[in-house]
Amino acid sequence: MANEAGLDARNAEALLRRFEPVIHFTKGEWFYPMDCEPYVDACSLWVRRPNEDAVCVVPSGELTLERLAQQPEDTTGAVHYLKIPAPKQDENRGRRARRRARRSHTNPDWPKETFRAGRGRLARVGYISRLADALFSLVLLARGRVPGGDVEGARVLYGRFMEEGQRFRYHGHVVQQDGWIVLRYWLFYAFNDWRSNVFGANDHEADWEKIFVFLSESESGEVRPEWVAYAAHEETGDDLRRRWDDPELEKVGEHPVAYVCAGSHATRYSRGEYLTELAFPLPRALSAVRRIARRFWYVTLRQYAEEEYAERPFEEFTIPFVDYGRGDGWSVGPGQDREWDPPRLMNPLPSWVSGYRGLWGLYTRDPFEGEDAPAGPMYNRDKTISREWFDPVGWAGLDKVPTRTEELDVISRRREEIQERRDLLRSQIREKSDRLKTLGMDAEATRDRSHLSKLYETQRRDIEELSQEVEELRAELSEDELLDESLRDHAERLRDGERPPARAHITHPTRPVSETETRAGRVAQLWASISVAAVLVTLFLIFAYERQHLLSALVFAIAVFAFIEASFRRRLTRFMVSANIALAIVGALVLIQHYYWQIIVLAVLGVGFYILWENLRELGR
Amino acid sequence: MLGVLLLLQVVVIVGIGIWLFASIDWDRVADVSNKPGQVQLQTSDKSVLKGFVRAVLFTVYFLGPVVLSLLAGLGFVLLRRRGWMLASVAQALIMLACLFYYGASRPWFAYPIIAYSILMILLLNSRSVRAVVHRRRLTPAEASSEITHGE
Repeated sequence: MANEAGLDARNAEALLRRFEPVIHFTKGEWFYPMDCEPYVDACSLWVRRPNEDAVCVVPSGELTLERLAQQPEDTTGAVHYLKIPAPKQDENRGRRARRRARRSHTNPDWPKETFRAGRGRLARVGYISRLADALFSLVLLARGRVPGGDVEGARVLYGRFMEEGQRFRYHGHVVQQDGWIVLRYWLFYAFNDWRSNVFGANDHEADWEKIFVFLSESESGEVRPEWVAYAAHEETGDDLRRRWDDPELEKVGEHPVAYVCAGSHATRYSRGEYLTELAFPLPRALSAVRRIARRFWYVTLRQYAEEEYAERPFEEFTIPFVDYGRGDGWSVGPGQDREWDPPRLMNPLPSWVSGYRGLWGLYTRDPFEGEDAPAGPMYNRDKTISREWFDPVGWAGLDKVPTRTEELDVISRRREEIQERRDLLRSQIREKSDRLKTLGMDAEATRDRSHLSKLYETQRRDIEELSQEVEELRAELSEDELLDESLRDHAERLRDGERPPARAHITHPTRPVSETETRAGRVAQLWASISVAAVLVTLFLIFAYERQHLLSALVFAIAVFAFIEASFRRRLTRFMVSANIALAIVGALVLIQHYYWQIIVLAVLGVGFYILWENLRELGR
Repeated sequence: MLGVLLLLQVVVIVGIGIWLFASIDWDRVADVSNKPGQVQLQTSDKSVLKGFVRAVLFTVYFLGPVVLSLLAGLGFVLLRRRGWMLASVAQALIMLACLFYYGASRPWFAYPIIAYSILMILLLNSRSVRAVVHRRRLTPAEASSEITHGE
């Protein structure tokens, strides 16, 4: 459990400032990390109880961080949330709001460039995903969503903050856990405009993102940075963190460099455009069918897979979105054009962090939760405490990794433990071997004595069991010896200053889309935009006017569309494989239908011959 | 091995084509060509006409894939590892032709060709063949993109 014991505010602030990140944003970003206080001061606090309309419990202008911590009118099932004020009459929604937002461009600290998506995300994925995307957009009309006017409202509000001198600030919190000192940089953004500004998956009021730096303390009391973990969407675990000496982790002095994606504010280690996929689980029955088919294809038929075949715990379909972490916009941090203001310290823990368990922006009641505002640093949306709060080390997958200071101690303790176990195993093996020999002699003596045949059988059984036990103990001992040897070598390497590979823990590295993929032509983009509609129209025309040759026309149309698609996406090989698989399945069905009885007879004959062969082999021995 | 199997497939299909043309009773077909370089045939026997149409359709359907298979087979035998794409396209076309046949007249020879083609498709996509043929094309850059839940 993370705790603040032994850390005073001054030390905490000094550590936070020493390792504070440098953040590169994407050109066209509207919202930057800010202090949460002016945001709260401007918002109103609302409560929605089950089956009731939302009620404003603290109006805009009366809310403060202290008041927020009290979480008034809290009852079971109630959802508290903040609401960004609607623009005033004179800065009304729509065109006026946009004009006002643009007027803020006169402020030097406001983006002058608009975001350009470049090659569309749809050009990077296939038909199924595009169709799913179209459905996702349609569903968005029905489910809860942040109204378009709120984006303008948030821009106007943030513009006002900037005009009033608000700059760039993070919220810092330092804790200790399992020998680690964890520096937590919480970044608060007034709005996530991923959907409306960057063609992403969602919009929501308020956004809390985080960057963690993990330090270890040497025996002399010196701290050294060892790992960092950047939050991107809801990823957790080993893939999330990078070692301090990992070449992928850029640094400016002692400051780690991060690239924040436009709109979503997901944080990345390298600049680039990332294909992010929203994953939805398939229904259980469909998932089972797909799993069986995959296993049959890759394992039974030994067919080629581009990635090594692995059973998936659950099957899912995905909708693609692009995270633009280009790093070509503003840079904030030490040595950059824009520096951090002194952080808002969260040591000791302020009451608004632990006291307010509601959402930090509009509650849209979106069943997928993507459009609902997030909860604060300490909580999940359902008011449970978030893992990154109570177990930051486990969240980054570091719970199994000792600090560099502890490494040799851990190895030495482990070797002692193994040594003790080996001694115990040796004595057990000696004892059991003696017993085994005695039993062996007993069995020798009772063999071929008809009146002791029952005793002989029992002895045989005991010998078998004991022999098995001794074998297992010996195997265990041998493994322990090897493990001990490996630990000794590892300790020597560590003493020599050698480090294990920096990226060995990463199993699914997140990489930006390659340059070649990003530079696809305009025709490919155009095709991606119109293809789903073209497929639907073609299918409709075939059903309407070509019913006589329905099957042939459908096959022809689908083949042509698929071929064009594969050519644009440079995936002709994959397309040919898929087409051939489909044709082979249809061909197999035709054969089964035509030779139904013959296939059954052949199968029965095959089984019969196999049994006959086995029996004859046995006879021949 | 793969090249030999492809060439064997070519031989079989060409053999069926020759057999189809050979089984036409040419004595009942009259040559009514009246210009040099032009061929005009005439028959009053419907079964002969049917056999002739079948043979011509077979040629139309299978000429392209047979040429591709031949090139792919020669590529595998002579140039090593070349011709995977040609072979795949050929198998797709052969299967399509057979399925069109199946939808219409269901001739007996469609079934063995389908069976052979299925085996060839499985073989072409088998791990051992793909690993050899596409060894140079597979790069780590093809690693899958992340699967995350958008926030």
